[in-house]
Amino acid sequence: MNLKEIKELIDLLKDTDVSELELEKAGVRVRIKKCASEPGRQYVVEHTVPVAVTHAANPQQPASQATPDAEVSEGASKNVVVVASPIVGTFYRSPTPEAPSYVEVGDTVKKGQILCIIEAMKLMNEIEAEVSGKVVTVLAGNAQPVEYGEPLFHIEPV
Amino acid sequence: MFKKILIANRGEIALRIIRACKELGIKSVAVHSTIDADSLHVRFADEAVCIGPADSSASYRNIPSILSAAEITDSEAIHPGYGFLAENANFAEMCETAGIKFIGPSPENIRLMGDKAKAKEVMTKAGVPVVPGSKGPVGGEDEILGIAQKIGYPVIIKASAGGGGRGMRVVHSAGSLINSFLMAQSEAVSAFGNPEVYIEKYISEPRHVEVQIIADERGNVVHLGERECSIQRRHQKLVEESPSPAITPKMRKKMGEVAIAAAKAVKYKNAGTVEFIVQGDKYYFMEMNTRIQVEHPVTEMVTGIDLVKEQIKIASGMPLGFRQDDVVIQGHSFECRINAEDPEKFTPCPGKITSFNIPGGPGVRVDTAVYAKYTVPPNYDSMIAKLIVHGKDRAEAMSRMERALDEYIVEGIKTTIPLHKKIFADPEFRSGKYHTGFLEKFNKK
Repeated sequence: MNLKEIKELIDLLKDTDVSELELEKAGVRVRIKKCASEPGRQYVVEHTVPVAVTHAANPQQPASQATPDAEVSEGASKNVVVVASPIVGTFYRSPTPEAPSYVEVGDTVKKGQILCIIEAMKLMNEIEAEVSGKVVTVLAGNAQPVEYGEPLFHIEPV
Repeated sequence: MFKKILIANRGEIALRIIRACKELGIKSVAVHSTIDADSLHVRFADEAVCIGPADSSASYRNIPSILSAAEITDSEAIHPGYGFLAENANFAEMCETAGIKFIGPSPENIRLMGDKAKAKEVMTKAGVPVVPGSKGPVGGEDEILGIAQKIGYPVIIKASAGGGGRGMRVVHSAGSLINSFLMAQSEAVSAFGNPEVYIEKYISEPRHVEVQIIADERGNVVHLGERECSIQRRHQKLVEESPSPAITPKMRKKMGEVAIAAAKAVKYKNAGTVEFIVQGDKYYFMEMNTRIQVEHPVTEMVTGIDLVKEQIKIASGMPLGFRQDDVVIQGHSFECRINAEDPEKFTPCPGKITSFNIPGGPGVRVDTAVYAKYTVPPNYDSMIAKLIVHGKDRAEAMSRMERALDEYIVEGIKTTIPLHKKIFADPEFRSGKYHTGFLEKFNKK
């Protein structure tokens, strides 16, 4: 969720009788409250990530940040299989930093094909595709921490 | 001092640890199973990591998952709470290997005290009074017959790897000893993976009184008084109080000294509890618990010392901030464990809580991670809250607990609140002259 979207939400509240709005999207929860009695009409914005917190790679950035760079394509919600992380660890798209990614958006993968690596306690775990299909979305960011059940890829089965 | 601590637990104890972290300015990381995503401890922690599905073996007891969560969040220490991995020596060791500080005693402390027969052996050598019985695990049928003969019936056979009231058999006469011995061994193997058993004199009408000790990593050990825990159902505590109405000031002083000697004998670090079995003015070492306990709040209420903060400070290398002389027991405290259970049949009652009115007012403390509209899951322990009171004396504390129980309204699920009300109205309980057989007798009334 970015500043523009939050501003749009605040505008939405302004012209209505709604005093409090809570919205959850892609693992990020935002709550906006109107302080009605104040003459200057203040808004309280709480931006929390209740379930998953990704470790900011850049220390200057705020500690709670939404899953970065989700490449989403239009048909993402239709007939896709979500590949979720089976373990806690760090997500890597390629076997080594210099090597190319295991998969890119648009690639066709076969069941059992390696999609990514999740590193946990210095052990590299290869994550395999459970179905054959087309990679529609890459949801996790390279070198980002992932938790159990965190969505990694959307695959459209063929 | 640590900058970030991961709490390897859930529910009210996870929240308790998060509270101590917040007050110490330490960032907290909550770990949770998929079904605990809406838990209060997740909400109040600074960060949260989902570590597995509902089943605790795949989540709260999943060592690689928890260590990985600590790694990705850069947590410097792990507080294990109670239950789950709190007394898992392997886990404590793996934390050490991974460079993460385990907030608790050493793996050796845990291992030694986890072996109940060995612990007794060590305590005997340290001059701590123990219940007469075998010096360690029983070797064979002849040995057990001989010891039973010497100490006299009734005797009790206990699993070395048991503890907490599990894996125990009472034998009243020589005729049934061997059979009970063999049964106890096979039960021990299937429950704990270890067939070793030991034998003790069975103390009738015993009281369960435990002493809280706390030790820093420089050898300073202090005791914080005792807790009376005889109100138990099938060895699970329901009501605790401090100080114990059965302990005289002279006994308190001696038992405290014995508990400290026990801790020093094993070079114990951090918080621990020495459990005694008491009969009249006699007391015997039963076992030592190498973790923060559920009932720690009653000790906090009468001493004014925050035990969880002390645990964190000790683990970060700080010396104990007080000496034995600084510890003063003031007033009286009770704790009622509120379980999501039928108050008469004790069957678990998970489900959605529709209203939850917590008591308040002077001297009342509620430790809970449950709230209105929360659904109590069936997968975990049935305890949903601890109601703790403090008063200037036992009488005031009792009336305060009765008042608080009346204010505690939980709708949507059944709880043991009605049972607690009955206990506090009972003349024998009120007199303070009760022992571990109380609740069984009480339920039959």
